[in-house]
This record gives sequence, structure tokens and C-alpha cells, in this order.
Amino acid sequence: MNAPTPALVARPERLRLVGQRRKLLALMHQRLMIGLLVYGFIVAVIVFRLVYLAAFGDHAGRKGMALSLVPERGDIIDRDGQPLARTIDAWTIALQPGKVIGDKLDLARRLALLMPENDAAQYHAMLVSKRPFYYLRRRAAPQLVAAINALGEPGLALQREPDRLYPQTTLAAHVLGWTDVDGHGSAGVERAFDERLSSPATRGEPLTLSISGKVQQALEHELSTAMQKFSAIGAAGVVMDIHTGEVIAMTSLPSFNPNVAGSSTPDQLFNRITNGVYELGSTFKPFTVAMAMDSGVVKSVGQIYNCPNELHVYGQTVHDTHPFGRACSVAEIMMESSNIGMAQIADQLGRDRQKAFLKKMGFLDKVAIELKERGRTLTPGSRWGPFETMTVGFGQGIAVTPLHLATGYATLFNGGIYRPATILKVDANHKVAPGRRVFTEETSYKMRSLLRLVVTKGTGRKADAPGYRIGGKTGTAQKIIGGRYSNSVNITSFAGVFPMDEPRYAMVMMLDAPRATSETFGFTTAGWNVAPAFSVAVSRIAPMLGVRPDKRREPNMAEVLPFVHDKAER
Amino acid sequence: MSARGFRSVIMTGAVASAALGCYLISLRVAFERAELEGVETKIVLAQRDIRLLETEIGTRGRLAQLERWNLKAIQLSAPTADQFVDNGFQLATLVKPDAKPAVEVPVVLASLPRETAPARAESIDDSGAPPPASNSAGDLMHVASYRRPASPAPRLAPPTKPNPAVAATIVPAKTLAKPATKPVKTATADPLAALPSGASKAKGSGIATKRSTKEPGSP
Repeated sequence: MNAPTPALVARPERLRLVGQRRKLLALMHQRLMIGLLVYGFIVAVIVFRLVYLAAFGDHAGRKGMALSLVPERGDIIDRDGQPLARTIDAWTIALQPGKVIGDKLDLARRLALLMPENDAAQYHAMLVSKRPFYYLRRRAAPQLVAAINALGEPGLALQREPDRLYPQTTLAAHVLGWTDVDGHGSAGVERAFDERLSSPATRGEPLTLSISGKVQQALEHELSTAMQKFSAIGAAGVVMDIHTGEVIAMTSLPSFNPNVAGSSTPDQLFNRITNGVYELGSTFKPFTVAMAMDSGVVKSVGQIYNCPNELHVYGQTVHDTHPFGRACSVAEIMMESSNIGMAQIADQLGRDRQKAFLKKMGFLDKVAIELKERGRTLTPGSRWGPFETMTVGFGQGIAVTPLHLATGYATLFNGGIYRPATILKVDANHKVAPGRRVFTEETSYKMRSLLRLVVTKGTGRKADAPGYRIGGKTGTAQKIIGGRYSNSVNITSFAGVFPMDEPRYAMVMMLDAPRATSETFGFTTAGWNVAPAFSVAVSRIAPMLGVRPDKRREPNMAEVLPFVHDKAER
Repeated sequence: MSARGFRSVIMTGAVASAALGCYLISLRVAFERAELEGVETKIVLAQRDIRLLETEIGTRGRLAQLERWNLKAIQLSAPTADQFVDNGFQLATLVKPDAKPAVEVPVVLASLPRETAPARAESIDDSGAPPPASNSAGDLMHVASYRRPASPAPRLAPPTKPNPAVAATIVPAKTLAKPATKPVKTATADPLAALPSGASKAKGSGIATKRSTKEPGSP
């Protein structure tokens, strides 16, 4: 017990040593702990990541493909669902000169063999140039792509790019328009509905047009036949549903192929229906009569006007092609398309009422349709005096688009309500546009027999198609060449409605500068060229539109026939 | 003590196996989802192919092309007002077979051997010579098969040829058959007049109808 216990009291140096070791140990513990924490953290991160991937992550076999077939740009289909424009993946061949590894001269020769649009020298110039990228061919054929691929040159890039295809080629080309290199619309529906077609939210749904492919084809074919037959420089035609304002067919000739729109002439690209304005002549006369009837100027189609051989008014002279030289009724004036009679009716109607009616019919504004290529109406403007009122009354001195005319006929025969034309199909998504009343229903009804009379007994006899009850009006206007009216070159048109006892469709056909043939006995007036074409076109189109021919049905001709003298039977 | 000691181990094991089970289920679901996606991808690819093919066929058979074929080969035109019928009755009046006098007359000849069999058979048997039999049969065949251009020529030629050979025996037969052959001549003339009146029909249903139509005609 008494023995000294040295261990009890440590020597100071030893004590210091213990303290140092403790410190060192604590430090090491600390460091180890930090290392452990860091290591644990990394492991935790990995584990968390693994758990997360296992729970929510994608599996390895996932393909980077869209699971729904949304095209790069929306389809355009016709009213029956037939595609008019589609976007497909097409092969594009591009050249990246920087990546070329082979012999450039040899490659240039091979390229010139495969794609002869450039010669070897041009290809070589491309290959040695500093530009990073050249498009060699867009929408290449698969055989060519295979051949290019076989060259095995990394500098030649083969890519699939979305490309706009118009399967029906020239069909309804002016309606559809075309797209530029970046895939944006340059004309027609492509331009008017560019946002709707390219927006990811809406492009999955195809855009349904009111155009019917079959009717469009029939109209195009009959018009081009007439155009060739009469050697006309252009033609145009439009078919409209008069109750909804839907444009069923619309064509302008010469046409172009929207697949290769770049190689078309400006004349081909020009839409004569919505963009071209023409003095359409006598096709205006029904409007004047309807205006006069509505205003109470003409109380009956039997109202008599004095129709001399020449009419001298306001220091000018009005001529007729078939002068009456006697008193004639409104029915006869209409039937024989008398300028003299119509001038008097227009004179009685007066400028202000005429203008007000034309305004209500939309004739003084740009034609109402979704397309952006729209022409501006040419009117006498500030010179619109009493004589101009007369000339406008028979369709001269005012230039409108053929679509204006079709809309006007639709207004006149659907019961008198103006509705803007539309290129989209009218259905649950696109309701009929609200209309505004222009003519009374009674006027609209009376005009039926009057226009039917023109076709059964008047200037439009060649436009009749048996059973289809066509009613309409011919129009021959002298073309303005070099600022003055030409005596020999005409623009002939026929505006008609069928079936006249229950009007459903309005159609306008127009020929630009038709020539006389042996069949027309030297005439170039509308009754000889565009009217027969109209007849053929209606007998083809009407059955497609569900209009059944019936020879026993006619509008109430008893309203007009008593006022027609037999002398009119030329 | 032991139970208490193993409790944590058991718990850990249970939790671990439960977690593993959950993970396996999740894996299974992921696998199924992947399969589904694979199928959906296939559907989309098929739809894309259908679209491409549709586009191609639509482009090849575009309306302008059909119009061209129609102009060159098919040559269909729009129906006229008279080609539309109002009701079934009107349609029935159109398909009613019209009376064909041209077909009726050859019948007389075709069924002639059967009715006037004694006269003919005798004459043929008497001669025992095949030429007149074959000749007359061929003659009949021509009429029955309604081959218009061929019939007049052989008709005129053969009777004159065999006549000298079997003149004696044939002559009575000829005189007997005269009333029957006479209408034949008008028959050869008639079909030419009524050219489009169903030459094909005369072949098939000719014999059947001939007899029935002949009876009211003979008395």
C-alpha cells in the first residue's frame, strides 16, 4: 500500500504525450468521420438515383419516337376527306464540302452523272468552295438516294426532311397555294391559314376545305376544254353553294403545279377568281333589275320601256347588239340583254340607290373570302355621275372579281341575303356566316323566272342543260387593251344558278379573249363560247352535287312569258 | 431473449423482402409499359406507312389522271336527264325485254327438224348422204348462232353445190321446207336492221325463248 505508485501520478512529459495522442486521435476520428460522411453521401446519392430511376425512370428500351402521328404541317383535305396537301418525309441530298475526303474531281464527275442539273465543273466549284453547306436536291427519288449513298462519301449528307406534297398536282392549285422553302405558306390557303396549319396545337387536325375535288376537277376540265377550243388566253370558274357561301370549286387557268410552284410564270400563279377584276358586262344586269324591283322603280316585269335603236343621253350614245327599235318589257330587255333598256332602268334607279345596293352586296369592297389574294374593285369613283350609273347598270365601268359576281348571284337567289364566301367547309366547327338582307324575298323569287327566260328564250340558250333548269345571264365585255376598249377582243362570262325552281348552286365561268371558231359563226360573244361550256359543266357537276335532272320541273314561267313578244324568237 | 434478439433481424428481412417485392412489381410494370410502348410505336409506324401508301396511291390515281384515262380509254360521259329514273316502276319498264322479231324467226328454222321431222328425215335417210345433212345443219347453226355476216354467203353457195348431187331427193324436202325457209330469208335481213338488239342474248337464251315465243306465233 505504501509502496509508491508511480502510475498514479504521471510524469508531466508523459501527461503531455497522452494529451497529444488524444488530440491526434480526435483529429483522426474527425477526419475519418468527414470521409465517411462524404463517402456515405455519394453512396446515398447513387442509391437515391437508382431508386428514383427504378421507380420513375424510363426503361432502357425506350425509343425516342413520338407516339402520335402529328405531321410537321397540317393536312389540307377537301370536303369529302380526300387529301389535297400533305407533309411527307422526303429525302434531301446535301453537300458539306468541308467533310469530303475522297478525290474531289472524281466526285464532281460522278455527281454530274447522277444529277445532271449541274455539270462536273460546277460540282467541282462547289466542292472546293468554303461554303459549309449546299442543297443538291430536295425531294430526291429513292433510286438517286441509293446511288448517292453508294458513293460512300461522308461529305454527302442524306437527310429526311418534311416536305409539302400536293397529291392532286394542279387541282385547285390557286385555292391551295404553295409553301416556301421554310415550310410557310406563300399563297392561297397555305398562306391564309399558315398559323392554323403550323401550330403544334392545331396541326394534328386536318383543315377541311369546302372544295369538292370531283367538282373541281370537272370544272377545271370543262373550262380548259373550252379554253383550248376557243384559243382563249385565260379562263376562270367558280361554283358556290348559295345558302352557305361555301366555294365548292374555284379554278383559274392557266394553272400551275404547286409541287414545283417556283417554275411557274406569274400569269399562271395569278388567281383570276379572287385577284383579277374584270368588267363583266351584262352579267350585272340582273342586279340592276333586282335593285329596281326592290326600290319600286320596276313594279312588274311587264313594265314597258322605250327601246330605240340608239339612246342618246348625257352627251353619250348607248348601243345595243340586237336593237329592238320599239317599246319593250323588262322581261324582253333582260332576255335580249338590251343595254338601252337597262340604262333607262338604271337611270330611274339613280346613283345613290345603286351605290347603296352595291355596297350592301359587298361589291365595293374587297371580296369577302379567307384567301389573301384579293383584288380591289374598280369603280367610276368620283366620276360616278348619271351616265356612269347607266353603264354600271349594264356592267361596264365597274370591274369586280368573278367571285364578287358569284357571291352576288348567291345573294340574289338565296332569298336576298348576302353571305360572305368561305373556303372552309361549313359544319359543326364552322358555322354559316351571319348574313345581311339585301333584296326582299319576293324580288329574289321573281328573278328566278326572269333568268330562266334568258336561258330558255334569250341570249343564253346554249347554256341550257336539259333537266337541270339553269337560269343565268351571259356577259360579253370588251377588253381594255392599251387603255381603250377593244372592238374585237372580249371577256365573255356566264353567271348562272341551278336548279332555278329551287336554287342551290351559283356558278360563274369566264373566258379571257376567246377567238371565233367555225362553230360560232365568227361570233365571240358569251352566248357562243362560254354558254355551251357552262351547259356541259353543269350537266357534269350537278349530279355530283345531288341535283337531279328533271324535265318536268320549271320555275313559274307564267310570270314572265306573257310579257315576251314572239318577235324575240330570232 | 432469442426471439427478442432476432426480432430486429426478422423485421429487417421482412422490410427488405417487401421492398424487393415492390421493386419487382415496379420492374414488371415498367416492362409491361415498355412492351406497350413498343406496340404503340409499331402502330404509329404502320400508320405512317399507310399514310405514305395512301399518298402514293392518291397521287398515282389523282383525278386529273383518271380524267386522262377516261378521255383516252374509258370514255364515260355525264348522264343525261333521261338516264335518271324516278322509281322502281320506271326502271322496270326500262329493263323489260323488248320484242325481238329478228330472234323469233330463226327459231322456226331451228326447231324445224323436230316438227317437220318426217319430211326431212325421210329425205335425208333416202339419200343417206351426209353432205346435205351437214349442210342443212350448218345452215341452221348459222342462223341459230346469229352470225349475220357469215350466214348469207354460205347460205347462197352450199345449196347450189349439193343440189346437183342429191337433187332428186332434196327437192321434195326443199319444197316442203319452203314455207319454213322463207321466213329465214327475212330473218337474215331483219337482224341487220335491228343491229344492236342483243346478239349475245340470242345465243344463250335464244333457244329457250324461241320455242315459247314461237308457239303463239305459229297459229
